[in-house]
Amino acid sequence: MSSPRFKFLFAGALTALLMLSGVVNAKVEEPQAEAKTATPAAETAKKPAKESKSTADHSKFKELDKDFDTGPEVTKACLECHTEAAKQVHNTKHWNWEWVNPQTKQRLGKKHVINNFCTSVQSNQTFCSACHVGYGWSDDSFDFSKEENVDCLVCHDTTGKYKKIPGLSGHPNYKSMEWPPHSGNFRPATDLTKIAQNVGKTSRQTCGACHFFGGGGNAVKHGDLDTSLINPPRYLDVHMETDGLNMTCGDCHLSDSHEVSGSRYAPTAADDKGALIRGSQDERNPTTCVACHGNEPHPKEAKLNHHTDKIACQTCHIPAFARGNLHTKMTWDWSTAGKLDEKGHRIRTKGSEGRDLYDSKKGNFSYERYVIPEYVWFNGNVRFTLFGEKVEGDKVKINDFLGDANDPNARIWPVKVFRGKQPYDIGNETLAVFHTAGKDDAAFWGNYDWDKALAAGMKAMGVEYSGKMKFVETEMSWPITHMVAPKEDALECYQCHKEGGRLAAIQDIYMPGRNNTPIIDKIGWTLALLALIGVLIHGAIRIVSSKRG
Amino acid sequence: MLKFIGGFIIGIVILGVVMFFKAGSFMFNEIESPYSVEETAARIQRNIQRLENRGWKLSGLRDPSKAVAASGTNVLPVLLVEACSTKYSAPLLKEDETRLLSILMPCTITVYKKDNGKTYIGLMNSGLMGKMFGEKVGTIMGEVAKDQAEFVKFDPKEPAPPLIKIKPGGGGAGGKDVGGC
Repeated sequence: MSSPRFKFLFAGALTALLMLSGVVNAKVEEPQAEAKTATPAAETAKKPAKESKSTADHSKFKELDKDFDTGPEVTKACLECHTEAAKQVHNTKHWNWEWVNPQTKQRLGKKHVINNFCTSVQSNQTFCSACHVGYGWSDDSFDFSKEENVDCLVCHDTTGKYKKIPGLSGHPNYKSMEWPPHSGNFRPATDLTKIAQNVGKTSRQTCGACHFFGGGGNAVKHGDLDTSLINPPRYLDVHMETDGLNMTCGDCHLSDSHEVSGSRYAPTAADDKGALIRGSQDERNPTTCVACHGNEPHPKEAKLNHHTDKIACQTCHIPAFARGNLHTKMTWDWSTAGKLDEKGHRIRTKGSEGRDLYDSKKGNFSYERYVIPEYVWFNGNVRFTLFGEKVEGDKVKINDFLGDANDPNARIWPVKVFRGKQPYDIGNETLAVFHTAGKDDAAFWGNYDWDKALAAGMKAMGVEYSGKMKFVETEMSWPITHMVAPKEDALECYQCHKEGGRLAAIQDIYMPGRNNTPIIDKIGWTLALLALIGVLIHGAIRIVSSKRG
Repeated sequence: MLKFIGGFIIGIVILGVVMFFKAGSFMFNEIESPYSVEETAARIQRNIQRLENRGWKLSGLRDPSKAVAASGTNVLPVLLVEACSTKYSAPLLKEDETRLLSILMPCTITVYKKDNGKTYIGLMNSGLMGKMFGEKVGTIMGEVAKDQAEFVKFDPKEPAPPLIKIKPGGGGAGGKDVGGC
């Protein structure tokens, strides 16, 4: 390189470098740290979901024109006309909290499954049965065959005044009582007559009374179910939008003989049977997207239909969950539970948005909203780690969604993965069950004594606590299937078809834009390089020729 | 000499091209946060309050994603933390030549989530921008840049503070309801 030419380039480069250096130096320092939290603000219903078009006015029925002292008395009155209703309810998952998976032969349902929220119903029925469709389940002596034990009102109330209080074994309060405890607020005695005279179809409110509050609070458990769905705007749920389609839970979760379709224990992961015709005697699950939208739901974008043999509808059409401005719980660490302040009192701290960050009764939590799901292959079969199964290591998958790329029944599904730390019985080598709530001496929420709580919980499971425990990390997955966004907000192609995109964890398939073939890349780059060399040689020859000529 | 000038001009052209494509990233800084959107915003708010001796006051918290959601579209969470310091705003607002820079007030820090699920902080590159408006503004904005760097230093040992939901235009430097800067 000649000297003048070097000066020429140097001057240019120097000018650029000097100006750029100021830019680079002006950058701010990066933050350090780590941790998490978040919080919400409860939302309330503003208007009723749908107007009733019932042909029966229950306020005119003489059977209901009386003072009822208890829920079972109301049920008896209901059964005078609806003679088969209780028998039907007795056959449902909502009643039995039990279901045998025909594929895995595992006995599932709330009665049997351990989760990583409050962990187990066993020994805690007095509280957990606030979400049971029955009255009086407090221990193993509960009579599941007694018809008047069925709670009709919890699903059919239309007044919004019926509430089953935790700690009352599935009953509402029949007398005025302070609720929540120590709040200074008193709930008036439940007006059973008024509620019985105003029964109707199930609604978002009645389904949501339990399903929005799973895990012990609004939006806690599922991530795609919370009270923001009582009155959802269009962006949150295009099917349930109050001013739009205004669909209720029951419009998708069709019921037959009181058994409600759509189950998280055995969801339909892949449905290629097309739209479900009304009146069809098909045994298939009607609670799928395909059951309404058919096999080719994208009339203008045929390429999108080609995705349906690998991708669940939910993957693209639910871009994030917990979008209703309510934070969902993402982690629960029981290992820190039991700390008390200097005076021996319970400690409760809040995160930045006001949700619980620490509670002596429960340990540490973290919350999040607009959560980007994780994605897994799922063929509809879920295998659970049940009580009694030997568990090794310090990490346990509470449930495992089965399926892989080679499984024709598997689709890529969005899931909420809930992570926690919970007790493990070292001697028995199993996940441990413990007694949480109650006024007895063994309840952890009363005495903060793990050994007592574990001894009582394990005894309820028919096993003696070994006396040695530790905490293990656990993961539990929840399929995301509610909060369907408007089609304009479905995932864009590039959100998956790129390196590090949404499906980064799905590595057993080839995805254009994400995966490459090294040999083809090498050939391509070699051709590009050869073309460049050719251009340079050609240019050089032209310059030399022109100087000569 | 002609060649040197030519080289200089080409350098300017190269710089122009670079700036055309990269100017956005020079004007703004993006930092990943280890916390949720709400906690990040709350920690920034706490840091701002700690610099009260430098005149800083919170002047608002906006959630522009709510407005978009209200129009029927989903967007990931965004929170705008607004703050102002009369120590820096006063000299700029005093002079006719610099009053135009009120367009940058109040100082806004954005906290948002991206498609990878992580939280990020966006800051204006005050130091660089200030240099473009002469020595006086450059000096003031340089000080602002130093304070901004303090806003985004987090101590993980400190518990999460509550998010302060202060209405934009409410509070701020100068006392209650004066309205920011």
